Amino acid sequence: MPEQSYEPDRAIAGTGAGGAMDLAASEAETLERTPGGPQGTGPQAKPRSLWSDAWRDLRRNPVFLVSGLVIVFLVVISLWPSLIASGSPLQCDLAKAQEGSQPGAPFGYDGQGCNVYTRTVYGARTSVTVGVCATLGVALLGSALGGLAGFFGGAWDSFLSRITDVFFAIPVVLGGLVLLSVVTSNTVWPVIGFMVLLGWPQISRIARGSVITAKQNDYVQAARALGASHSRILLRHIAPNAVAPVIVVATIALGTYISLEATLSYLGVGLKPPNVSWGIDISAASPYIRNAPHALLWPSGALAVTVLAFIMLGDAVRDALDPKLR
Amino acid sequence: MAEPILEVSGLVKHYPLTRGIVFKKRIGAVKAVDGVDFTLGRGETLGIVGESGCGKSTVARLLCSLEQPTAGSIRFKGEEITKLSGRALKAVRRNIQMVFQDPYTSLNPRMTVGDIIGEPYEIHPEAAPKGDRRRKVQELLDVVGLNPEYINRYPHQFSGGQRQRIGIARGLALNPEIIVADEPVSALDVSIQAQVVNLLARLQKEFELSYVFIAHDLSIVRHISDRVGVMYLGRIVEIGTDAQIYDHPTHPYTQALLSAVPVPDPEARAHRERIILSGDVPSPTNVPSGCRFRTRCWKARERCAVEVPALAVPEEFRSTAGPAAHDSACHFAEEKRVVPPEEVA
Amino acid sequence: MLLEVRDLHVEFRTRDGIAKAVNGVSYGVDAGETLAVLGESGSGKSVTAQAVMGILDMPPGRITGGEILFRDQDLLTLKEEDRRKVRGAGMAMIFQDALSSLNPVLSVGDQLGEMFVVHRGMSKKDARARAVELMDRVRIPGAAQRVRDYPHQFSGGMRQRIMIAMALALEPALIIADEPTTALDVTVQAQVMDLLAELQREYAMALILITHDLGVVADVADRIAVMYAGRIVESAPVHDIYKAPAHPYTRGLLDSIPRLDHKGRELYAIKGLPPNLMDIPPGCAFHPRCPMARDVCRTDPPPLYEVSEARASACHFWQECLHG
Repeated sequence: MPEQSYEPDRAIAGTGAGGAMDLAASEAETLERTPGGPQGTGPQAKPRSLWSDAWRDLRRNPVFLVSGLVIVFLVVISLWPSLIASGSPLQCDLAKAQEGSQPGAPFGYDGQGCNVYTRTVYGARTSVTVGVCATLGVALLGSALGGLAGFFGGAWDSFLSRITDVFFAIPVVLGGLVLLSVVTSNTVWPVIGFMVLLGWPQISRIARGSVITAKQNDYVQAARALGASHSRILLRHIAPNAVAPVIVVATIALGTYISLEATLSYLGVGLKPPNVSWGIDISAASPYIRNAPHALLWPSGALAVTVLAFIMLGDAVRDALDPKLR
Repeated sequence: MAEPILEVSGLVKHYPLTRGIVFKKRIGAVKAVDGVDFTLGRGETLGIVGESGCGKSTVARLLCSLEQPTAGSIRFKGEEITKLSGRALKAVRRNIQMVFQDPYTSLNPRMTVGDIIGEPYEIHPEAAPKGDRRRKVQELLDVVGLNPEYINRYPHQFSGGQRQRIGIARGLALNPEIIVADEPVSALDVSIQAQVVNLLARLQKEFELSYVFIAHDLSIVRHISDRVGVMYLGRIVEIGTDAQIYDHPTHPYTQALLSAVPVPDPEARAHRERIILSGDVPSPTNVPSGCRFRTRCWKARERCAVEVPALAVPEEFRSTAGPAAHDSACHFAEEKRVVPPEEVA
Repeated sequence: MLLEVRDLHVEFRTRDGIAKAVNGVSYGVDAGETLAVLGESGSGKSVTAQAVMGILDMPPGRITGGEILFRDQDLLTLKEEDRRKVRGAGMAMIFQDALSSLNPVLSVGDQLGEMFVVHRGMSKKDARARAVELMDRVRIPGAAQRVRDYPHQFSGGMRQRIMIAMALALEPALIIADEPTTALDVTVQAQVMDLLAELQREYAMALILITHDLGVVADVADRIAVMYAGRIVESAPVHDIYKAPAHPYTRGLLDSIPRLDHKGRELYAIKGLPPNLMDIPPGCAFHPRCPMARDVCRTDPPPLYEVSEARASACHFWQECLHG
């Protein structure tokens, strides 16, 4: 610590708090205003929270920058696909079926003569909607149930743990085939609902574990000793310290929900035409893989890049939030 | 002794040991605290020493109502507090605050120092009007020797000793009458320990606090305490003023404990008697019958296995008024000086 | 000299910058001698020991200068393979946390025996017999029965004995004990310290005892080296240092510990905080906390002045400190 950062001798007058200031001269010596303070941040350190630290870390991480850019791009085109694609994804011309790349259709045409480029761009909307909504649902439901179970423990906790075990035993694709085949609505919502139904136990388990870890910290005991209510302890002390693993797992899960939607659509139980989805396109293009591989490769490539981007983002977030590296 | 502010009697905390997940079967209990009695006088410091697993930290948690005792009573100014709940418990908590051992886990890393020290006022809004809180927090920072401008900083920007000061400021916020400090300096560096011990001593005078000071370091406990209780396996085996315990111990465990403390003086190596206890502390699930220290005691006889020694002034000292006449739970209590008297250099 | 560390420098690269953990440490230890290295957290005492043992995590650590001579051979220039031979047979280490230093899924007999199987090529049966012998040596009651037990079945003190047995297995010339009793209770601490001292005499080993506890050191050490901010600030025979420290930091440490034999008034406390290793104060690193600091201390780093034949102090005003 450089010399300048020292406080001058404490001004004994002026802070007439509860008679606190009658320091003996000897004590003023030992009980110095502890100098500097911030460790490793230099004398002019600004207050930094762990979140802002994590953000500073993320900004420097190339993995985060690349995946973040991809995701921002995806979100933009799913909101305004017409920005980069003209025409409608449903406008198909059988005469152009399986044609290759050409002006106006850089990715060529698929078996039905639809423009692969336009369909791939419009397909992003479905993927992003399903991914984001399913993740939000899973994260909210899972962390609420798991968090409360971890906090209160007891019978509810045991019950919930067994329930999650049961859900973990359900094969996702098989469950989807069974449950979604009876659904008649052709929107994204049944698919999202199915994902939330099967996905929450994963988050709930993570949330339960991290709440139990956070609960054991002395600051929670300190709050209890002060007489804090359950809701204050949960919201102020436990939730902010338990949320990081949930965020990480949810970000990574987002990618898998997108690919699960494609899988289900491919199998014919997810979205069905006239919806536009990468899974539907992959499914439709697979019979012509020899004649028109481009019709399969572009939506598959878009799917792979999207899933990878979310998984990489989750990874980068984990590195930034991991307290062990701190 | 001063007027009692806290009276503890017959305090017991057993943690049941169960087996099985669905059908829980009780197979025993960890007897963490197994019948503890003491009184804390106003403005006094009671030190509690003992080795790990002796139950001293559980006592701290019981005093702060962080755990429900299995049996026994804790009276604060004559009022029984173990059965309280809701508003009444909250009111008592204002008066008994705790300082924790680990300055790294006792502060919420997501809150600023101002929020941490100000939280007591949010929980007990009657303690300080809203507009006054920031000033109060800054005063508290000043009182514990930290720069009041640090109010917006986060705990990880401070060193261990500074964090412990923040924890102490939080404990002081509600103007409690009693502070229970559980190993408050054992996680700190030697040169910082003295700063914090001095701070605690100064605050006691300033705010007329009563301390229960729990530690395993016998030298620090002697330094800060007016009276000292020695715990072994969930019970207090000897209790008295610091001079009685350190200079005139009558319980063999206290004597062994004192003789084992390394003294920073190589000259003392030669003329110091060392009592090396054999073996380890028995498990608190399986406490020996009679006197619980008998399995490691060199004086143990048949009587010790059958009869539980009471914590009282031993018969042989009852008639004398000397310093050996203090409570000691041993059938064969005998005064023995193990800490050599201070040499005049 | 059995081991001689010369002008060792170690840095750590962290996300916030470079932490200078060791800044020119020199010390030596003879066969059969006990050297205590005393310091607070961040003083560099453990890092130096890890560098000597060759178990420093690199990266983030980096040895940027100096020599470590063991039997006149510079360990830092050795190949990793040769270095490994020195570890175990030449020098061994005992850690603070015995539970995490032992493998929980192997019985202690297997872990002790492994040393003989790997280094001495013994058969499993012979190795097991030697393991029992070793456990006897470190006074574990019922060694023959307990050799099959797993680490968690032992108490803290017993586990530390097993660690000591492991370190002793190949009869090394030097044992480095890093806070060997810090995690133990006082009564057990005394048992383990006594055992260590006894074994050291029996085997005529050199012992480097790393600790923050001035009390533990007083009972067993021959010489003491006090470290602060990655440097040795004072080194002296144990009797001299307690009688009259020649560095204000040592003096401050001695004065700040409460005494068992009388009740003091106010404790002397060294003011301020230990230095930030990313930003060590210029001049003497201790000057911001030093009651004797003068202008020269803020600019000129003090060399190690020779106080007497076996004593050195890194204080410009050591004479003043020694006599006042």
